[in-house]
Amino acid sequence: MNFRRLLLICLICFGIIFAANFTLARQKMIQIKGSDTLVNLVQILAEAYMEKHPETPIAVLGGGSGTGIAALINGTCDIANHSRPLKDKEINLAWEKGIKPRRFIIAVDGVSIIVNESNPIEKLGIDQLGAIYRGEIKSWKEVGGPDKQISLYGRQSNSGTYVFFQEHVLGKQNYSPDMMRMNGNAQIVEGIIQDESGIGYVGVGYVTDSKKGKVRKGIKVLKVSKDANSPAYSPLDKAAVDSGKYPIARPLFQSTNGKPKDVILDFIKFETGPDGQKIVEREGFFTIGSVHKAQNEKNLK
Amino acid sequence: MKESRMSKIIGLNLIFVLVLLGLTITLSAQQSWKMTIYYDYTYDITDDGYLTEARLDNNNRFFFRRAYFQYENKIAKNIKFRFRYDADRKADDKFRPFVKHLFLEWKNLIPKSKIKVGMTETLTWSPIAEKKWGYRSVAKTLMDNYKGVTGKKIDATSADLGISLSGVVSKEIRYAFMVSNGSHYSHPEKDKYKKFMGQLHLIPIAGLSLVGYADYEKQSEDESALTYKADIFLEMVEGLIFGGEWFVYDSDVNKVDDRQFNRSGFSFYGRYAAIPDKLNVFARYDRYEPNTEAKDDEINLIIAGVDFTPIHKSFKIQPNIWYYSYADPEKKDDIVFNLTFYYTF
Repeated sequence: MNFRRLLLICLICFGIIFAANFTLARQKMIQIKGSDTLVNLVQILAEAYMEKHPETPIAVLGGGSGTGIAALINGTCDIANHSRPLKDKEINLAWEKGIKPRRFIIAVDGVSIIVNESNPIEKLGIDQLGAIYRGEIKSWKEVGGPDKQISLYGRQSNSGTYVFFQEHVLGKQNYSPDMMRMNGNAQIVEGIIQDESGIGYVGVGYVTDSKKGKVRKGIKVLKVSKDANSPAYSPLDKAAVDSGKYPIARPLFQSTNGKPKDVILDFIKFETGPDGQKIVEREGFFTIGSVHKAQNEKNLK
Repeated sequence: MKESRMSKIIGLNLIFVLVLLGLTITLSAQQSWKMTIYYDYTYDITDDGYLTEARLDNNNRFFFRRAYFQYENKIAKNIKFRFRYDADRKADDKFRPFVKHLFLEWKNLIPKSKIKVGMTETLTWSPIAEKKWGYRSVAKTLMDNYKGVTGKKIDATSADLGISLSGVVSKEIRYAFMVSNGSHYSHPEKDKYKKFMGQLHLIPIAGLSLVGYADYEKQSEDESALTYKADIFLEMVEGLIFGGEWFVYDSDVNKVDDRQFNRSGFSFYGRYAAIPDKLNVFARYDRYEPNTEAKDDEINLIIAGVDFTPIHKSFKIQPNIWYYSYADPEKKDDIVFNLTFYYTF
């Protein structure tokens, strides 16, 4: 009986000591989770920040915008990367759990429509794109291309890009059940390179080779028009993205629980400052404009 | 006769499920499968307690406590179907499956709400209290655990045949209503009376939840049962949740010497994410009062443990201690150690 009571006391003490030690360790690293569109960019931003601040380790993970937002709400990350705004359901859950998300815009993305470089198609209208991804148009011939069945590449439902595309291109209707649901942007690009009939949507940062600044070999980036009567624009045209003429552009977000403090605040200021924005541009995304900067300043107060 | 009728009901359920599966598989690729298992090694630390003395010859054992198999299919934008099989241990020690959930969920037929039709979770503890406690693998919540601890029945179940409506008025106000058989998911309806449940969930400040619940069912022409319950949850510190639950079960059927009595209880618990995604600690105190008119029948239960995720969130190890103490001076305290293994995939 004495031995049993001693075992009981030891188990409880062990648990408390273990928890206390690791709690201290937990506080030192910035955890960032979420959007696959943002993961490479934020990883590079983090590396640049850590070069100047080696005492502040930063870990960046993907998993999709939904995963990042859920992690912020569950308290398992410090910053959520997301390429879509929070849904009502997420806002309600955050409130229930005492989380007050503050949102910052760190880059702008032109969601790019890519096909295999052998595909003769150069442009599509938003209506055609929606019909293709809803499964209503099944052959390239129907949009002026070769007589081949269209292979659809897209993301999984926890992706902000998936949600954004569904809202802005599919008119909130369902994706075709034939769409292949890939884990991330890189997998879509690789799929299109291998598939002459493929079409996919990816963040603009994934279509160029960051070292050479040119579109990656094996893919072609289509121009997109708002409607049949409007000119088509490329997502690589910064002026078209900034002005809204490119119809599938979106801000890219990070959210924190409440006003960011200490190293998290410092990192966000780095990302949205001149050094960070140079990296954003170098990685193929677009820098934030004055409206976004004003919103960020407001949310930092 | 009863078994034959139950077999028919189960058989019909299975046919219903297979037909729905057949129809829905071709319609949608948005299907998900999930399996969850709780598996324990239990060791009685005391050998002279009220429970532990009675099982001296069996004071340590491995056993599967529960297994769940769940299939969901989103057959349209706002419509989802769920089929869930549970399995637990019966008196003859065999692990038997039974249908726990079999319902259609329709979102936003009324804006910002969902309707569930079929065999679905009730409002009593599953949607909120169980999630906030977070350790169903270690222990059921106070009301769910009542019969297991006290040996006394309260008219409450985690799932039942019926229809429910739950929704959000604003981020501060949520509501839910349900009408069901009131006879428990594993029993057919036995009378003409139905159970009515209502719940109001208020979140006046971010991280502070107040939940009020009541249910009512007639037991006979002259008798009825009413349960009322209140929960409070605090989630204002990162990684820390505090919860409290209190309920009263007021049934005209509960009588001793023609004197009606209630059953009641309350519970406080907390859990803390010491290392997010890796290590959590939890503790709970329950107080059970099986007869509000009787003395010395109260039971106190303390549960404490850690939740460790060694590799991946689909596998957890949760060592925990249960400490029972009894108001009855004839009953000595029990202390039981459990090493709980939790798998989900």
